[in-house]
Amino acid sequence: MNPTDSKTNPGQVNRRQFLRDGGRATAVASLGGLLGMVLGRSQAEGYVWQIDPSKCVYCGNCATHCVLEQSAVKCVHAYAMCGYCQLCTGYFEPEPNALNTGAENCQCPTAAIQRTYVEDPYYEYTIDEDLCIGCAKCVDGCTRFGNGSLFLQIRHDRCVNCNECAISKVCAGDAFVRVPASQPYLLKTQH
Amino acid sequence: MNPHATFLSRRHFLRRSAEAAVIGGVAAPLLGQGAEAAASRFAYDVERFTKTDPQWLRYDPDGRFPTPRPQAKRISIGPGGRFYIAAQDKVCVVDLAGTLEATLSLNDVARCAIAGEDGLVYAATRNRVVVFEAGGREKLSWEVPGPKAWVSALALVGDSVLAADSGNRVIWRFDLSGKVLGRIGEKDQEREIPGFVVPSPYLDVEPGKDGLLRVNNPGRHRVELYTLEGDLELFWGKASAGVGGFCGCCNPIAVAALPDGRCITCEKGLPRVKIFALDGAFEGVVAGPESFPQNARIGSGRNPVDGTLGGLDATVDARGRVYVLDLVASEVQIFKPKTVS
Ligand code: SF4
Ligand code: SF4
Ligand code: SF4
Repeated sequence: MNPTDSKTNPGQVNRRQFLRDGGRATAVASLGGLLGMVLGRSQAEGYVWQIDPSKCVYCGNCATHCVLEQSAVKCVHAYAMCGYCQLCTGYFEPEPNALNTGAENCQCPTAAIQRTYVEDPYYEYTIDEDLCIGCAKCVDGCTRFGNGSLFLQIRHDRCVNCNECAISKVCAGDAFVRVPASQPYLLKTQH
Repeated sequence: MNPHATFLSRRHFLRRSAEAAVIGGVAAPLLGQGAEAAASRFAYDVERFTKTDPQWLRYDPDGRFPTPRPQAKRISIGPGGRFYIAAQDKVCVVDLAGTLEATLSLNDVARCAIAGEDGLVYAATRNRVVVFEAGGREKLSWEVPGPKAWVSALALVGDSVLAADSGNRVIWRFDLSGKVLGRIGEKDQEREIPGFVVPSPYLDVEPGKDGLLRVNNPGRHRVELYTLEGDLELFWGKASAGVGGFCGCCNPIAVAALPDGRCITCEKGLPRVKIFALDGAFEGVVAGPESFPQNARIGSGRNPVDGTLGGLDATVDARGRVYVLDLVASEVQIFKPKTVS
């Protein structure tokens, strides 16, 4: 299977798919609302940078090499793939003292992941994108042990679409690709 | 394998599971691509758990062979010491040396297969149990009930066929013709059964000689022992990346019963095979992550194949040898107890 084939996975997402799926079924609702902005740009620019989540190896450079003060790269969550696990390996340290929201048990360096009780024994995890710096630590934990529902994307409401993305030059997974501005996200979801 | 067909079946699992909001699949990335993350101050550091302390090793490696087909999902050992390996849309019948003896065809992805003393072979696709005669002719088949059927393991006990259904989170008990005799392990407050938590399609069932069924409950990080009538007799296990616990969000993913009743468990994420006493006391390690480097590197969420994540499955023979199927490397590794010469 060719992972870069948009028919397989990750899915390259256009406006129609976003509208059909809604935010929860795909990654984040707010991504959908940003498409108008990106589409507006597409006339002039044609292509934008994006991360192919199948290639990311969680090196951490997304957090430190973006030209912006706070990286344009954010973690997004494919809820339809999530196990809603009590022990989320994206949220908790590899060996937490307890499964609660105590800072010592959580691995996100900026406390950007919110944990909400749903029903026994299920919990929902949401990303506060204003806090997320795109460090990929949670992505690593989720992909190693869980269903791989957390992954990184360049947020195009923040990205200034540099000619040559500064992160792409140091990306350990060679995960940065140019995608049409009309389909600016490569989401881990099926259609 | 037709990747499109595989993709559809994965999608089916995800879509139907999304409503219940508890079962995820894996959409995922590329097998074999993406090596380890470079060391970074943001690293999710499990390095210290990837080396097994030699004091815990109770088994030695004793050979290996590749599976006849890639994308194998389950292994079992049947009469005459033959292996039954579900891979792609086939059940491969393999001798002890790994030589392919026969192939049984299904019209969907084969999830698991077992053989009875009478020579009949029981195989399952996502929502169907198919019975083959010894010669390979299909004898009968039946549909597994429930809107979310996703059979991930089969077992035989007397005149009962047991099907572990990850989608419906239940162990179905059928008679030999496919009639439902019972449902085991469903949430039931009166019987003090908490119910299975199965974030990915890895529910397993294995009968012990004591008549109790060993069932993994991955989201609760434990193994549960049931009677055939569905009474929960015993459970044990704890969440921990440490050697005596079950790591990550959902482990163990597979169980096997040694002839003396002790339990073998398999984990994903940190691919490990371990032994537990009847009462759940941790006894030692059959094989640690260093025995499955490809599997350890990829992690559970990186496998592109139809909702089946990376991971391991195991079966044991009458001498207590453990045969471990590596789902990522597509090979079977054989381990013998250290006390056996
Ligand atoms: S761990 Fe890193 S990538 Fe994940 S939410 Fe926190 S800051 Fe964002
Ligand atoms: S293109 Fe520029 S702004 Fe966008 S992610 Fe790369 S470095 Fe950051
Ligand atoms: S730089 Fe590349 S490999 Fe590193 S976290 Fe970002 S996308 Fe992943």
